Amino acid sequence: MLRVFKSAVLLILIVVFTIAANSQSKVPGIKYQERTLSNGLKVYTVENHSNPTVAIQVWYKVGSKDDPEGRSGFAHLFEHMMFKSTRNMPAEMLDRLTEDVGGFNNAFTTDDVTVYFEAVPSNYLETLLWAEADRMGSLNVDEENFKSEREVVKEEFRQNYLTPPYGQLELLIQKKSFTVHPYRRPGIGSIEDLDAATLADVKEFHRTYYRPDNATLIVVGDFDQKQLDAWIDKYFGKISKPDTPLPRVQIKEPERTAERRYVDSGEHAPLPAIALTYLVPPAASKDVHSLKIAEAILSRGDSSRLYTKLIYEKQLAQSADALGDYREDPAIFIFRVTLSSGKSLEEAESVLLSEIEKLRASPIGIVELAKARNQVVTEELLQRQTNTGKALALGEAAVLFGDASRVNKDIDAMMAVTANDIKNVMRRYFAESNRVVIHFLPKPGMREGRPGIVPVATVDAGAIGGGHIR
Amino acid sequence: MKIFSRSIFALLIATAFLLSNSLNTVAQQEEPPAPATPRSVHFPTPVEKYLANGLRVIAVERGGSSIVTAMMLIKTGGEVDPPTLAGLADMTAGLIAKGSRKRSAPQIAEAIEALGGSLETGARWDESFAKVDVMTSNLASAIEILSDVVRNPVFSQAELSRLRQQTLDDLTLALSEPGILADFVAARVVYGSGPYGHRSSGTPETISRINRNHVAQMHARYYRPDNAILIIAGDLNSDLAFEIAEKNFAGWRKPASPLPQPVSRGIGKEVGDSQRVVVVDMDHAGQAAVMVSRAALSRTDPDYFRGIVANSVLGGGYSARLNQEIRIKRGLSYGAGSFLDFRRGAGPFIATTQTKNESGAIVAGIIIEELDRLSTAAIPDEELATRKAALIGTFARSLETTAGLAAQVGHLAIYGLGLDEINNYIRSVQSVTPGEIQTLAKNKLSARSAHIVIVGDAKAFLPELKKRFARVEVIREHELDLNRANLRRARGHSGRMRNR
Repeated sequence: MLRVFKSAVLLILIVVFTIAANSQSKVPGIKYQERTLSNGLKVYTVENHSNPTVAIQVWYKVGSKDDPEGRSGFAHLFEHMMFKSTRNMPAEMLDRLTEDVGGFNNAFTTDDVTVYFEAVPSNYLETLLWAEADRMGSLNVDEENFKSEREVVKEEFRQNYLTPPYGQLELLIQKKSFTVHPYRRPGIGSIEDLDAATLADVKEFHRTYYRPDNATLIVVGDFDQKQLDAWIDKYFGKISKPDTPLPRVQIKEPERTAERRYVDSGEHAPLPAIALTYLVPPAASKDVHSLKIAEAILSRGDSSRLYTKLIYEKQLAQSADALGDYREDPAIFIFRVTLSSGKSLEEAESVLLSEIEKLRASPIGIVELAKARNQVVTEELLQRQTNTGKALALGEAAVLFGDASRVNKDIDAMMAVTANDIKNVMRRYFAESNRVVIHFLPKPGMREGRPGIVPVATVDAGAIGGGHIR
Repeated sequence: MKIFSRSIFALLIATAFLLSNSLNTVAQQEEPPAPATPRSVHFPTPVEKYLANGLRVIAVERGGSSIVTAMMLIKTGGEVDPPTLAGLADMTAGLIAKGSRKRSAPQIAEAIEALGGSLETGARWDESFAKVDVMTSNLASAIEILSDVVRNPVFSQAELSRLRQQTLDDLTLALSEPGILADFVAARVVYGSGPYGHRSSGTPETISRINRNHVAQMHARYYRPDNAILIIAGDLNSDLAFEIAEKNFAGWRKPASPLPQPVSRGIGKEVGDSQRVVVVDMDHAGQAAVMVSRAALSRTDPDYFRGIVANSVLGGGYSARLNQEIRIKRGLSYGAGSFLDFRRGAGPFIATTQTKNESGAIVAGIIIEELDRLSTAAIPDEELATRKAALIGTFARSLETTAGLAAQVGHLAIYGLGLDEINNYIRSVQSVTPGEIQTLAKNKLSARSAHIVIVGDAKAFLPELKKRFARVEVIREHELDLNRANLRRARGHSGRMRNR
C-alpha cells in the first residue's frame, strides 16, 4: 500500500515537473505563406528543406454530404475518376508522374472534402502542379474506364464494409445517427446507387464542384518561393472561375430530444458490439478543443478511463474507443465497444454509461490533464514529422475550420483546456437525450464451428477458455 | 545507352529522360513540364557502442521533429515457439508490459502515458520488441520505463490470464476475416509442421496452453543484454542517448550460461514442391481472399536486392503488375500486391488480394500467370526503371519518421548486416539487371511450386477453379484445424489422419 502511495506521489511530482519543463517545448509552429488567386483558388505554402521532397495537395470543398439524391457514394466514386483521363493526361498518368519517379499519390473523400495528395522528389514539383491544374480544369473519362473503376469501388465496399466483422456496424452508425442531414448516407454509398451512376453524372459533378473557387492548393517542402509562385500563376491562373452558383447543403440536423435505440446483427461478427453516438458541434467550434482532450482521457492508452474500467478491471471488452468525428456541420462523437466473449451486453453498456457520467459529474485531476496534454502534443509532433503530415494539418485548418492560423493556434487552445472545461462539455453534449445506442449482435447460430471459437480447457483455474456467444 | 556516372542521380535524370520520351509518343495537346535537376539525398548515419554486458546500443540522429523512437530488440522471436505453444514469444513480449517488480500493469501504462508516449511490445520472426515514441524532452524517463519492463517483468498469474483471454478474443475476431484466415492457412500449406508453419500470434488452441512457467523461461533464456539491441532514433544528441542507455542498462547482468544458438538457416524449408490449391469454404464471407505463397529468401541471401526489385515489379505497389492486371485493367479488386518476408531462414513470398466470391478463381489464375511471367520473360528496361524508382521512393519515405528510421536500422542489426547498408540501398537496387531477376524467378520464385489458398464462399468460385487447376482441396471452415499440417480436424472415430 505504502509503495503504491509513494509511487503515486513520485508520479505526480514527475508529471508536474515535466509540465513545467515542457511549457516551452510545445509543437513548433508551421510557418506558411498564403494568397488567393483572382479565380478564387486559395494557396498555402510551407518551405522546408530538410529533405529533397515536396508534398502537393489539392483540397476540394465537396464530400459525400454533397452526393446527389439517389447517388450516395458519388463523391467518392468521382474521386476515383479523377485518376483517369483528362484533356492532357491519359488514364493513370498521375502514377507515371509520381510512383514511377519515386513518389506516391493517393486521395480520400470525407463527408465534407475530397483531398488529392502526393509527395515527389522536389525536382518534379512543376510537373505535378501542371498535372493538378490539368485535372482541375478538365476531366475526360471514357465509358470503359468508368465501368471498370466503378467495379473497383464496389470491391472497396465489399472489402471495407461487407467482409470485416464490424463493417456493417460502421454503416449503421452513420445511418442511425442523423435523421435528415445527408451525413446519414455513408460515404461509400450502396451497390444500387453506385450502379445507377452514369458518365454524364461524372461530367456534371466535375463542372459543379471542381472549380478554383472551391479549391485549396497546399505545397510543403523543398522549393523556391518565387519559382513556385510563378508556376502556380502559370498553371492555375488560367483556370476560369465559373459564374454559376456553388451548391451547398443547407439542411440542418435537428437537436436530439430523446434517446434512440437500435438492434441489428452482422453476417460475420463473432462477438457483440455496442456503439453510442452523440451529436456534437462542428469542427470549427471552440468546444472541440475540450472534446479532443476528453477523447484522450476516455480512451487514449491503457491508462485511459475506458481501458481501465471496461478492459482491464472488469474484463468486459475486447476493445473500447471514444472518438470525435468533427465535420463542417454538427456531427458525432462515437463510442465503440467490442465485447469479450461470454460477457453481458447490458453490463458493458451500463459500465460504459457510468464512465461517461463520471466525467459529467466530477472534473478530472491535474495528473490526468497533464497526461492528456502530453499525449495530444506527442500526437501532433508525430503527424508533423513529414511534409505530407504538415500539409494535412494545414489543409484541415484552412478548409475544414476555415482558418489556416488554427494549424498553430489550436494546439495552444488544447493546452489551455481546463478540467472544468471538460466537465462542462461532457455535461452539455453527453446527456441521455442526445444519445443513440446501437447493439450489434452476432447472427444467431453463426458461432458453430468457427476456427477461433473452440471451447478449450486452460491450465489455470478460473480462466475463461474459448468463447461462448449468447 | 551506357551511362557512366559517379552519382546515382544521373541515373534518376536518365529515368526522367526515358519518361519524357515515352510521353512524347502519346498524342496530347500539352506536354507536362520536364523535371528539374534532382537534388541529392542524405540518409542519417547510425553510431553505435557496446556496453560491457554485451548490449548493443545504436543511436541515429535526425533533428527537426522533437520526437524520439526508443526500441529494445531481443534477437529472438516466434521461430523458437514450440509448435504446441505457438504464440509464446508474442505473449511473453506482451506480458513484460503487464507488471514489473517496481510497477503494476496500470502503473506502467500510467507512467509511459504521462509522458505522452505509448508502449508497444510484441514478437515477430527473429525479434521481440518493446518500443516507445516520445518527445525528446521525455527520453530519459521513457528509457527508464523501458528498462524496467525488459529487465524485471513479474508475469503475474492474473495478468497472464487476462492477456490470454484478450488474445483469444483478438484471434476470434481475426479469424473471422477471410484475408487473415488465408494467411494462417498459407503458412501451414507452405511450411507444414516446421517452425514457420504457425503464425507468430499463435492459435486459440496453442494460446490456451501457455502458462507462467513457459513465459518466465522464455524471458530468462532470451531477454539478456548480449542478445539485445537498443535503438534510439530521432531528434536527439547521440552522446546523451548513450549516457541514458548506460545509466539504465549497465546493471543488466549477462548470464553466465552461453547464448542460445540462433535457429538454423534451414528452418524455412518448404514441404513438398508441387503446387497445392487449398480452398477454405467460408460460406458467409463477403469476399474471397486469394493468396499465393511459397518459401522464398532469407535476409542474408545474396539475392536479397534482386528479390526486392523482382517483387517491386510483380506486386510492390499500385502500378506493379498484379494491381495493374487485377484492379486497374479488370476492376476485380480494391488492391492486389505481393511482398517477400525475409527471415533468418527462407521466409515466404506472398501475393494477396480480395475479390468478390465469383472472381476467386479468375484472380488466382492471374496471380499465377504473373508470377510465372517473371521467369519466362525479361522485364523491359523502362518498366524496370520505374519499379526501381518506386522501390527507392518507398525506402526513402520510410526513413522520414523516427519510427521508420528505427525500424530500418533495427532490421539491419537483427540480421547482423552493416548499418551503412542504408546508404548503399539505392546503389544496390539500381545495379539489379533483368537477366538476374529472370534467373532468380526461375530458381527461387517458380510459380509451379507456389501454392494457392482461397478463403471464401466456395460455391461461387469452385467450378471455375477446378477448370484451371487439376487438384483442389476443399476444407469447410468448421473442419479447419490451423495447428495441423493437413489443416483438418482429427475425426474422433475414424482413426489417425495422416499428415501430408
